[in-house]
Amino acid sequence: MDEEEQKKVIDLVKELVHRLVSQNPQNPNFENSLRYALRILSSRLTPSIAPDASAIAESIKRRLATQGNSSDALTFSDLFSKFSSKTGPGSVNNKWALLYSLKIISDDRKGSKAVVNSSTLLPNLPLNGSHFTNHLNGKENRKLGCRNNGVLLVSKDPENLREIAFREFKNLVKEENEVSEEVLVRDVLYCCQGIDGKYVKFDATVDGYVLSELVKVPRATRVMVRKLCELGWLFRKVRGYISDCMDEFPAEESGTVGQAFCAALQDELSEYYKLLAVLEAQAMNPIPLVSESANSGNYLSLRRLSVWFAEPMVKMRLMAVLVDKCRILRGGAMAGAIHLHAQHGDPLVHEFMTRLLKRVCSPLFEMVRSWVLEGELEDIFAEFFVVSQPVKAESLWREGYRLHAGMLPSFISQSLAQRILRTGKSINFLRVCCDDRGWADAATEAATAAGTTTRRGGLGYGETNALESLVIEAAKRIDKHLLDVMYTRYKFKEHCLAIKRYLLLGQGDFVQYLMDIVGPELSEPANTISSFKLAGLLESAIRSSNAQYDDPDILDRLRVKLMPHGTGDRGWDVFSLEYDANAPLDTLFTESVMARYLRIFNFLWKLRRVEHALIGAWKTMKPNCITSHSFNKLQQAVKLQLLSTLRRCQVLWDEMNHFVTNLQYYIMFEVLEVSWSNFSNEMEVARDLDDLLAAHEKYLYSIFEKSLLGERSQSLCKSLFNLFDLILQFRSHADRLYEGIHELQARTMETSLSSRDKSKARRQKDDTSSEPGSWLSDGRKALTQRASEFLRNMGQEMDAIASEYTSLLEGFLAQLPVQQHVDLKFLLFRLDFTEFYSRLHPNV
Amino acid sequence: MDPEAARTARESLDLTFHISNILDTGLDRHTLSVLIALCDLGLNPEALAAIVKELRREPSPSPLMPNTPPSIP
Repeated sequence: MDEEEQKKVIDLVKELVHRLVSQNPQNPNFENSLRYALRILSSRLTPSIAPDASAIAESIKRRLATQGNSSDALTFSDLFSKFSSKTGPGSVNNKWALLYSLKIISDDRKGSKAVVNSSTLLPNLPLNGSHFTNHLNGKENRKLGCRNNGVLLVSKDPENLREIAFREFKNLVKEENEVSEEVLVRDVLYCCQGIDGKYVKFDATVDGYVLSELVKVPRATRVMVRKLCELGWLFRKVRGYISDCMDEFPAEESGTVGQAFCAALQDELSEYYKLLAVLEAQAMNPIPLVSESANSGNYLSLRRLSVWFAEPMVKMRLMAVLVDKCRILRGGAMAGAIHLHAQHGDPLVHEFMTRLLKRVCSPLFEMVRSWVLEGELEDIFAEFFVVSQPVKAESLWREGYRLHAGMLPSFISQSLAQRILRTGKSINFLRVCCDDRGWADAATEAATAAGTTTRRGGLGYGETNALESLVIEAAKRIDKHLLDVMYTRYKFKEHCLAIKRYLLLGQGDFVQYLMDIVGPELSEPANTISSFKLAGLLESAIRSSNAQYDDPDILDRLRVKLMPHGTGDRGWDVFSLEYDANAPLDTLFTESVMARYLRIFNFLWKLRRVEHALIGAWKTMKPNCITSHSFNKLQQAVKLQLLSTLRRCQVLWDEMNHFVTNLQYYIMFEVLEVSWSNFSNEMEVARDLDDLLAAHEKYLYSIFEKSLLGERSQSLCKSLFNLFDLILQFRSHADRLYEGIHELQARTMETSLSSRDKSKARRQKDDTSSEPGSWLSDGRKALTQRASEFLRNMGQEMDAIASEYTSLLEGFLAQLPVQQHVDLKFLLFRLDFTEFYSRLHPNV
Repeated sequence: MDPEAARTARESLDLTFHISNILDTGLDRHTLSVLIALCDLGLNPEALAAIVKELRREPSPSPLMPNTPPSIP
């Protein structure tokens, strides 16, 4: 306000006061009135309501209508419409102010008409600031006036001044304290928008809105104001969170889900703002009453406000709780936390939460959609429950992606999450490892089948069923496609079969031939063996067996591998075959899987070798070889010794052969073929790569366990290997025995031939001395002695082997029933079919 | 002030006076015009109303007010 305006105001006020005071001839003290007027003006600098002319007009109209002056009300609205249409120069600019002041004056007049009680009038003490005392009202003032007249009063100034000061102060306080409910309502409305009111202000120390202590209001009102202002406190909290989230850039803390949450909260708040705006507009209107003619209070009282606030309070509380909960959470975890609060019986809360969650979850569902249909992981802020890890292509399937349990919202079940994970993983696997593009068609097909569009935003919270069906459709098609690719393009089944035939020694002629030709080579010490030579032998084994008709691609993958060898190792210990599976099959045939195949191969190879050795032994000890040549020229004792040794050898061989053949049979038919048949069946019904992997794993595991290679049968396996070693030892013994026998035979032939010659010669000579005969009998004697010694030694060694074998086998058989695996019982049954062993050792 | 503006002003004043009468404020035209001028200058209408209220009330229990029984305000 500049100087000129100031002056103008003063003039106008002067004029006003003049007019007003002149109406009351009893009150000529113009100066005082003017001073008073100016003080009033300066004291109330701000209007207490929002400037809105039409709202005030509405309020006046209602008041008139409720007082029964409907014609007045009509006239007023007519006049007001004319009045408000006046614009431009010369018209009243500040219409609302004028109307407002008229309204107050009118209210005041009515009030003063209704209530004639001088004590309720505002004390006009300020006028006593001068020495005029002629218009005293109230008992006290009159008393004063009685005592202090004119000059006397002046002389008694100090006392009077104190009195005046005191009263003035009281007045000020009273003026300040005289808070009507309307003002409180207005303040509460402000507070609820997070703005400090005139009397109700935010107090940081108590962390809440409080009504100023200076204001004297009833306790009940104070409590009610505090209750209502809880809404403001909650609002501050929510708004604070939103602004925190919105301010930060590039939003790494909150992430997209957090942003969606903020946006949803913002929307809810704008609803709330609307409500507050309506309430504020209504605040000044009187209550429309039918019967009462007297003036009713304004439409909004604190009590009404508390009713109005009931619903927003519930929502705001929820929001504040969510804000508190979500401050540290992000992504899927946040959505899950909000979801937990949505499980509420109250339909209002439920509906509200659903609306909120729809917004919050939209980024999450979008991620799921693009992951399932496109294999894209659009997750800049690490909010999704699928996490990718940078890995090599061959371990992409196993380790490339995993579920992040913390980010998995509770409304997505674990199984669904697994399915989602696998579907996206399949797409990525097809894309990266198989170099395949066919999945895109499958994905589109799936989307149409599920009835959702492939566009963004096709899904929302609460449509978990739709999501599930989409995921299922997509998973079904993409997994099928993946398996098709595996089976037809990468020939998974063929490779498995090839591994079974070559690594698991399923191709008999090939194995036999290989064993025959590499046998001599492998008997050499391990460090002298050349793998190139072995590779050549392998090649020739393939060429000369039925394996040559197999797919060359498969045969190319078959390699010889020599394992690292220690000192004293023979070729047999280090030789193994290897199958080279390249991408993408290395996802299935990983290094660990191949290592297990290798162990199985080594076991089977050893078993084969033992069997081979036993067959070799059989070849040499065929009974007809021995019996055809009579040893009748030998002494009876030696002959008996020979026969018993041979017999013992035969029996032992037979026992060993029984064991090895049955073991071989068991491995072949109970283990390999049964597992393979199960595996093939499972391969048929496998619906995705995980199923296939599991089936393959199961296949390997069952072979492993049943072939006694597992963890639990380690001791059993050890004794089995000891048995094998013993059998091999037996073979060399048997070889030596027969070698000795053959040598003996050759000698006896020789001696008998020579003796025959000699006797012929003797017959011819007839009279020769007996010397040559004595020499002959000497030679024969020595021979017999040597033979009997040799046979005795061999018999002893054979006995040792036999007893060791018996004890080992006994131990093996004793351990067999303890095994957990049910199939091993069949092995025992097979080995002990005639109950020979169980009768031998009834305690076993 | 051009005649147009003057007419508008007068009409406005008339309207205001009417309203004032309907509301039974007991203000005369002149006072009203002063009030309009003050309002236009942006003074607090509450304060203005208070002035009118206070200064008019100056006479203690006025004879104009009959002894009607007090009612609840």
